[in-house]
Amino acid sequence: MSTASLTYPPARSSTTHLAGLVWTLIRTDFKTRYHGTIQGFLWALLKPLTMFLVLMGVFSFIFASEPAYRLNLIIGLFLWDFFVQSTTMGLISLHVKGYLLTKAKFPAWIIVVTSISNALITLVVFFVIILVALTVSGRAPAPWAVALFFWYLILFISIVIGFSLATSVWFLRYRDLNQVWDVIIQAGFFVAPIIYPLSILPEHFHKYLYLWPPTPVIQFARAVLVTGAAPTLKAHLLLTGEAATVLFVGIAIFRRYAPRAAEYL
Amino acid sequence: MSIIEVEAVSKTFYVPSVRRDTIREHVLDLFRPRQADLLPILQSVSFAVQRGETVGIVGRNGSGKSTLLKIVAGIFRPDGGRVTVLGPITPILELGLGWNPALDAIDNIFIIGSVMGLSLREIRGAIDEILAFAELERFANLKLQHYSSGMGARLAYSIAFKAVREILILDEIFAVGDASFQERCKQRYSELRAAGHTVLIVSHDPLIITGFCDRALLLERGHIIMDDSAARVCDAYNDLLHSAQPHELVPAGS
Repeated sequence: MSTASLTYPPARSSTTHLAGLVWTLIRTDFKTRYHGTIQGFLWALLKPLTMFLVLMGVFSFIFASEPAYRLNLIIGLFLWDFFVQSTTMGLISLHVKGYLLTKAKFPAWIIVVTSISNALITLVVFFVIILVALTVSGRAPAPWAVALFFWYLILFISIVIGFSLATSVWFLRYRDLNQVWDVIIQAGFFVAPIIYPLSILPEHFHKYLYLWPPTPVIQFARAVLVTGAAPTLKAHLLLTGEAATVLFVGIAIFRRYAPRAAEYL
Repeated sequence: MSIIEVEAVSKTFYVPSVRRDTIREHVLDLFRPRQADLLPILQSVSFAVQRGETVGIVGRNGSGKSTLLKIVAGIFRPDGGRVTVLGPITPILELGLGWNPALDAIDNIFIIGSVMGLSLREIRGAIDEILAFAELERFANLKLQHYSSGMGARLAYSIAFKAVREILILDEIFAVGDASFQERCKQRYSELRAAGHTVLIVSHDPLIITGFCDRALLLERGHIIMDDSAARVCDAYNDLLHSAQPHELVPAGS
């Protein structure tokens, strides 16, 4: 593409320096979002918890015959909340922190990856709440189930990072990409089987719904945590392949567009 | 061996007559022909800077000075040519832009400082000094959204001066702050120069260029038309300004 030949000394990317940068970005993101207090953080948790209570109040009557509907709802809703928070923050990350790109030459992907830190902290809290809810309702998960759940979360995070890398550079060129994503998110809430059990839809639809990344993650998590039955090896390989594909495509798109990102700020 | 070497660098901006910034515009205007101008900013620019040298760049507005600095700093990518830089660069460009307005001065110092390559320990040790240099000790815990633009720019200079590593790149330095702040900047800058840092300065002020620079480049319409001693380049720049003035600026009342 460009015929320019550029030679710079290696960035001062000693591990301690990069760790300091990452820590500073995470710390200040947390402070900006939650006013630097635990109360602020708890306040922000009220939104998904309220959603959960309202949806549970309404839909547990509709799906009263479904076993463990509430547990399935809480797992679906929390994973969905993480997906929405992290992708929304990731998409706008370079736009919001683009001013840093003009301050020095440094690896810009750090901005994108750290932008999902707030959502990750919330995810850890959700993880604990889900385990407590399972235990309280007498379905304390076996260690292998928790381990698999943890693996699904790693894959989910990889998908989110791949998505964020791609959309963060696109957003600099297409300034309404966030509005488009909002619409997709609204539709996606119903595409993913969050408030309804997947089984109410005809079988031949399922494979299309599984293409929407939150669907397999939510379904697999429910399978191991609530039902206690692990999906097949093939299903695991497909999900892992999907996550790896999204991550690598995201990295490729980012590497293509990021060198000119500063020109679009 | 020169520490900065720029060879035949060119940069063209693609300027559509109607800019499309959104997906909506792209979709709605799908079948409308798209006109665009190619605006050459830099054309085959070459120069070299020796280690420890201070080089000024002068030129009229739009001559490509800032773009050239951004390319040397590695922030913009040239379309062609070769840039070789053999030391870490601290650019001070577009000051006053770029804060997290919801955070106070100290947290912003941490963010900018760590991006500029300081470790957390170095930043912690330098905070008092940075605030004192900017005369902002009293406002250390004030969010940046309540700062005046001058206060923000002073803070930006103070951080950057503290973070200087080997090569310093300055765009329109000494344009902010009151006389005493500018005096401190000049003093700090002289110290850096004495310590052997390499400096690249863009300025419109002939006093800055002749006072600080060993050498200067005159940039006109994307070409370097002169590479000589600072005094001679400033004279040529003055001539250029005065010869151009009758065509471009008609004084009121004439």
